[in-house]
Formats: sequence, C-alpha cells, structure tokens
Amino acid sequence: MMSIKKLFAGVAVAALAGTAALAQDGPVRIGVVTPISGTYAGIGQQVSWGLDMAAEEINAAGGINGRQIELLYEDSEANPAVAVQKAEKLMTASDVDFLTGTVNSGATLAVGQVAERAGKLIATTVSFSDAITGSGCSPNVFRVNARAGQQSAALAVWLKRERPGAKVFYLGPDYEMGRSTVAAFRKNAEEVGAESTDEVFAPLDAKDYSQYFGGIRAARPDVLYTSVAGNDTVRLFTQLKDFGLLEGLTVLGASGTVTSQNIGAIGAAAEGFITGVGYSTQIDTPENKAFVEAFNARNGAEPDLYGADSYGLLFAYKKAVEAAGSTDTDAVRTALEGLSWETPQGIKTIRSGDHQAMQPVYVVEIKDGAFTIADRIAGEDAIGEDVCDRF
Amino acid sequence: MIEFIQFVLAPQMLNGLALGISVILVALGLTIIFGLLDVINMSHGEFYAIGAFGALALSAFGLNYWVLIALVPVLMIPLGVITERYLVRRVYDGADRHVSTLLLTYGLALILEDVLKIMFGPNTHRPENPLPGATEFVGVFIPTYRLFLIAIGIAVILVVAFVVYRTRLGAMVRAASFDRNMAASLGVRVSWVYSGAFAFGVALAGLAGVLLAPVYSVFPTMGRDFILMAFTVVIVGGMGSIWGAVMAGVVLTQVQAISSLIVSPVWSEPIVFGVMVAVLMLRPQGLFGRIGHA
Repeated sequence: MMSIKKLFAGVAVAALAGTAALAQDGPVRIGVVTPISGTYAGIGQQVSWGLDMAAEEINAAGGINGRQIELLYEDSEANPAVAVQKAEKLMTASDVDFLTGTVNSGATLAVGQVAERAGKLIATTVSFSDAITGSGCSPNVFRVNARAGQQSAALAVWLKRERPGAKVFYLGPDYEMGRSTVAAFRKNAEEVGAESTDEVFAPLDAKDYSQYFGGIRAARPDVLYTSVAGNDTVRLFTQLKDFGLLEGLTVLGASGTVTSQNIGAIGAAAEGFITGVGYSTQIDTPENKAFVEAFNARNGAEPDLYGADSYGLLFAYKKAVEAAGSTDTDAVRTALEGLSWETPQGIKTIRSGDHQAMQPVYVVEIKDGAFTIADRIAGEDAIGEDVCDRF
Repeated sequence: MIEFIQFVLAPQMLNGLALGISVILVALGLTIIFGLLDVINMSHGEFYAIGAFGALALSAFGLNYWVLIALVPVLMIPLGVITERYLVRRVYDGADRHVSTLLLTYGLALILEDVLKIMFGPNTHRPENPLPGATEFVGVFIPTYRLFLIAIGIAVILVVAFVVYRTRLGAMVRAASFDRNMAASLGVRVSWVYSGAFAFGVALAGLAGVLLAPVYSVFPTMGRDFILMAFTVVIVGGMGSIWGAVMAGVVLTQVQAISSLIVSPVWSEPIVFGVMVAVLMLRPQGLFGRIGHA
C-alpha cells in the first residue's frame, strides 16, 4: 500500500516538474502591443526596430539562459481600448512571459492594470505620463524611458539660464500624456521664475491648429511649450511658421515632439526647437556610436529615443531573468528592482520605489536641421521624488 | 474690443473659412457620387490620400506644383473609371445597393490605405509650400497659401456647379440619375455616364489631396482625416446636393471656429456633430434636395 502511494506521489511530482520544465524550455515569449497604424505608427516603427535588433543580438549570443527570444506583435492603433484587447489576447492565448511596446500613455496605464490582474510584467519604453510610475503606479509596471518630469526638470534648468522670467504659453494634446507633460513643465518652469500665460489642449490628431493662434497672439508669450507628437507636430509647427508666429518665439517641447521620424516633414519650422530627452544620436560614447552605426545599417534610418530605449529594454529583461533564474513574475520583478544595466545612452538604474529608470537627461536643440546637445543633466538631478505608494 | 476682432475673431473666422473650403473640396466629390449614382463612397478619403501621394511622388520627378494641380486630377480619372466598372458596377444592381456598395467601398478603403503604407511607409511627408509667407488682408495676417486655397476652392465649386447644373453634359447626367431607363431610351449612354460621374468624383478627391497637402501634410491614414467632417457636411447639406454641401461646409466650420473660442477646443467637434443630429431630427432630408431631384 505504502509503496503504491509513494509511487503515485512520485508520478505527480514528476509530472508537475515536467510541465514546469517545459514552460521554462521553449523560447522566451515577449508580447509587443504597439501602434502599427494611426498617428503614432512612426513611433511604433522605431519601437519594433529597436526590439527586433536587440532580440537578434541576444539570440545570436545564445539567448536568455539558453532560450531564444520570440517577439509577438499586435497593433494597438494607439488606442487604449484596442491595446487592452490585444494585450489580453497575448497574455491568455499566446501566454507571453513579458509585455512591452505600448506608446500612448493611456494605453500603458490600461494595459498595466490588465497585466497586474493577469500576474504578468510590462515595461513601457515610450510613454511620458508621470502617472505611470507615480500616482497610477503598479507593482507589475516598469518604465525604462525618461518620463515627463525628468524631461521637464532638464528643460527648466535651461529655461532659468537662457530665458529668465519668460512668459510661457502651453499647448498639449488633450489626453493623459498631454495634460501630464504640461502640468510637469508648468510646475518646473514656475519654480524657476517663469510666468505662465495660458494653456490649451487640442484634440489628438487635430487637423488645424490655427484656431488656437488667436489665443497665442493675444497672450504674447516669449516661450511656447508643447507636447504634441508624431504627425500633429508637423501640422502645428508648419502652421505656426505659415502664420508668422515663430518669430521671436522660443519653442520648447517634450522629447517626443520632434524626432527623426518627423523632422524631415517639419523642415525649417523645426529650427531652434529645444527639448529635454533621454537619448540623442549625438551622445559621444563608443557604445552609442556603435549602436547608431548598427541601427543605421540594419534599418536604414537613425535611431531616436524610442528606438534606443526599446533596444535597451531587452538587455534589462535578459539580465533580470538571468539573475532570477526563470521568467517567473515575482522573481523577475525582484530582479528588476534596483537593476543597473548598460544601454547605448549609458548606465540606467531602475528605482525600486516606483519602477522608474534613472538616467541622465540631455537638453537638445535643433540647429541646421540636426539635433545638437546643448546640456546634460545628471540622472539624480532629473529623477524627482518618488510619489508611488502602492508597493 | 477692436483688438479682439482684429487679432482673434477675424483670423479665427478666416481660418475657419479656409478649413471650410478644404472640407467642401473633399465633400464635393462625395456628394456628386451620392447624388448621381446613389453610392455612399467610403473609399473617398483614400482617393483623397492617393491624390496627395501622387503629387508627392510626381514632384520627386521635378514636376512643378502648379502643373500637378492640373495633372493629378486627370490621372485620377482612369482609377475612378476602373473602380466603377470592375467593382461598384458588379454589386450596383443587387437587392440592397446601399449596403453592398458601402461595404465594397469600405473594404477598398482599407486595402488602399495599406497599399499606401507599404509603398510610402508610415511616416509623414510634406511637399514644400509653393506660396510661403503671410499676407495682410483687411488688417488680418493670413498665410498666402490659405488665401489661394480659399480663392481656388471657390473657383472649383463654381465650375463644378456650372458643369452639373448648366451644361448639356450635366443635364444628361442628372437625367440618368433621375430615371435611367427613360434617359437610356432617349439615347443617353447610361453606363458611360455612371463611369464618368464616379471618375469625376474621384478626380475631385484627388484635386483636394493635391491642394491640401502643403497645409495638412501627407501620410497613409490621412484619408480618415476629413472624411468624417465631409460626411457630416454632405448629410447636413442634403445627401447629394452641391449647394447644400457648400452651405453646410461653411456654416459648420464657422460653428467650430467660433465655438472653440468660447468652449474647450475638444468640445467644438461634439458641437458640430450635435448640429448634424439636430438637422437629421428636424429635417431628415438635409437643408437642400438631391441633384436631379429638385
């Protein structure tokens, strides 16, 4: 009798161990929910270039603990509702180990909640909204790119030095990211003595910004801060130029406002634009030069912040999984907290209190159609306080 | 007060007019195809996009922008004829014409959008503005190109209205849409008239694409941009009426322009669609009647 019981127990244990081994044997599956269509399609393109390139390099070097990385793409259409559906599909039907790629901040917040319920981890490499690692933080959500607050802190340092006491007008896209970036910059700018005139929020995908120009003219600002992105920037900037509003006006913006994706279409209207950004192709290190060269060779285009941050993410995940010894959610979360790893833009460290990556932030200006670095703010000075109180 | 009118209200209304003309340019082809063929062309926005990308591609060969304004609409005609002959006509005489043509053109729209994405990539392009700089117009600064847009838009509307309402060709087309059997028995080649009217609408979409490209930029999903507003204009104006579309286009964009001074800009669009709902409730046929029916 005893021996039969033992035998059964033994079989059960072996069977359990067998399935566990199976799950840890195949490829590491990473779901990518990113906009392949819509106004942010150009951003999604950089995200996929960065991730694909990193996955190829990691796989060629033997993968993660001997397992190859498999990326599974879904189109989020930059729409939170669609992103949630696609994320659920990836987590249940495809049983991915990890999720990334969300661009729209609303989508990141929504997918983060879904991931938390499903017991999976996600990381955004793009979204700016402070809420993601602040008031809306989640134990299952990480961010490896610079958030609105980090970018604004860097811009405020520049504003104080170059345009003391400036009158500032704010124009953002009317959703989570726009309101968060404007609020963050407004707070930082007012702390260094700038005077706020007015703020306007335009719908995402707005055709015509000229309807706001009356308000801008009436306010007579020295500085315009904007956080529109993608194609919206092309329209805003060229229309500002057409209406002669750029004369005597300094335009500051979020790091996603002007990128290598849209600078060509904006043309001369982008000249003099200044932003705080976590990445620039101009960063003068051997690692970055090698990265830019390889990225160009593979994709036929320069990397921008999204491409670089997405590329860097997979190396953080690889390091965390190797430290944890598995892709188990709790083990990888513990390994990611406080993790420091090498990226093209230098060493990044994930703050364990709110899952926000600390990194140096650069003040970048567009001169003669190219991004040039005007200043560098150390990671500790730009990160801001940890306001996450959920874990 | 005078400063408010000169620097805020007047520019706002003038910009609203430029936007209104843009919407009308897109809506014209839509209303003609609906008025004459009784087809709701869901792929109209993509024909608009093809016009813009066509201008972009041809300008890479060094063709002057002013030449493209004339050339692109002509090149759109074969595309319109082929679409009508080989796609729309196949489902035209089916039991439920409105549903089948709507689904067909919607499917075509999805395909064309992806074709543009494959050919040109997802990023935004912008042809150089052929008329840079701003002009002072009764004390108001307005970009020169937008003044040109308003002027050429009015000219296009007048020419189209003249062709449809005042020429023998227009009379034939209107007759064919009113009663195709009677028109056919009087010697009108109805099949040619249908192809021609569809191609005319497509050419107008292409023209709108070229004219608006320097202002609103060029990207694969641009077709969705104006299409909602254009449909609204067509519905409010009276499905298939040219003057109705013009009136509705001007009024609705002015509502949008002026209301966005008072309420948050995000609310100006719901106000426009609110006007559409009100018109549909009080006057379901729209402000004006259909071409050939009134």
